[in-house]
Amino acid sequence: MAGTGSRGRAERRSAGELESEVLAALWATDRPLTPAEIQAEIGGGLAYNTVHTILKRLYDKGLVLRDADGRRGAYRPAKNAAEVTAEAMHQALDRGPDPIAALQQFVTGLSSEEERALRELLAEGDA
Amino acid sequence: MRFDVYSPLALSLLLAAAGPLTGRYVAPAVAARVLAAAAVVTAGATTWTLVLLGAALLGDVPPLVRGAGEGGAAADPVPAVIGLAACLTLVVIGVRLRRAVRAERRTRRALRQLCAGQPVDTELVVAASAVPRACAIPGRPGRILVTSAMLGALGPAERRVLLAHERAHLAHRHDVLVTAAALAAAADPLLCPVRSTVAYLVERWADERAAAAVGDRRTTAHALARAALTAQRGGAVCALHFADHAVTRRIAALQAAPQPSLGSAALAVLALSTLPPLLAADATRDLFRLLTGAPL
Repeated sequence: MAGTGSRGRAERRSAGELESEVLAALWATDRPLTPAEIQAEIGGGLAYNTVHTILKRLYDKGLVLRDADGRRGAYRPAKNAAEVTAEAMHQALDRGPDPIAALQQFVTGLSSEEERALRELLAEGDA
Repeated sequence: MRFDVYSPLALSLLLAAAGPLTGRYVAPAVAARVLAAAAVVTAGATTWTLVLLGAALLGDVPPLVRGAGEGGAAADPVPAVIGLAACLTLVVIGVRLRRAVRAERRTRRALRQLCAGQPVDTELVVAASAVPRACAIPGRPGRILVTSAMLGALGPAERRVLLAHERAHLAHRHDVLVTAAALAAAADPLLCPVRSTVAYLVERWADERAAAAVGDRRTTAHALARAALTAQRGGAVCALHFADHAVTRRIAALQAAPQPSLGSAALAVLALSTLPPLLAADATRDLFRLLTGAPL
């Protein structure tokens, strides 16, 4: 089932999916990114114009801001909505049963032994 | 009726034992669906069986129900104690189901609130939080919630794995399977192991979809490892009830070759799950005859 190999990969990403990836890339770093940097980061042969279009759409939704004082043309993520969400998340955590733990979570807890094994795995990969 | 009526209980034990095995050897997409369906069918049959045992109590009240036809000659196959125990168990099941449904509703409401301040037509919901978390929020449309701490910890390819993984949860409606298995386990506690197997399998399924989307199982394994280590460092509020070795097992599965679909094993589990309702139906007929005074 997972045998699509390295070929049919990232080419067929929908506009919504690309929006998520651009937004994720902007949130992953502390400094503003230019469209060219985002293009390099996301890869998959994405056209510069496409990156521009996506940034425009995210800007119209109020999810990203043009960096005013920094380099021209650079973007950074807008914090408002994300802070509201974070606050709601922390409130939910304080209130009691964790709603996210009840759902499918990407990852869950580790024992110290497992932790060591995973570190080794990543160290191998980086070498 | 004597045997039929008890066998759905025995079969739920069998399913509880077969579940983890199916999960180990069959592709997760097949195994998760088959096990969730089998759990629901078995829980339904088990509950119905208890209804039958409880209803057999009526057979102990000859003048009201049985009529004069046979004069109470037919031996009552269900002792009154068992009938009473069945009624009590049904009450417990009712309470458990109610609690499970409420917990489910509460979770969904809390998750909807998390997206309140976000534009409607955006897939990714970022929370500006130092707690590393990521999860899929089912609904229309489904959303992916990730905290800034989690995004910052992953590399570009690993972020793509994370998004593809959560997207798979939403696209294949994994919440439905998990909820179905949870309700089945609430009605029939013997099925609790099946519930955890289904929860594990939907994660494996999403991992496989992510590996296919990114085109690389190794990157997918690394993304999982990195995310797990990050979550660990971030205080792992969630680690409490996940003492099993789920993440390491998922990573190991990604490092091995993908499991075959094994239709025959899946069919065997499905066949197993059709037995409880068949036997329950047979028992129903017997009870009906008993109550109406027809010969057994």
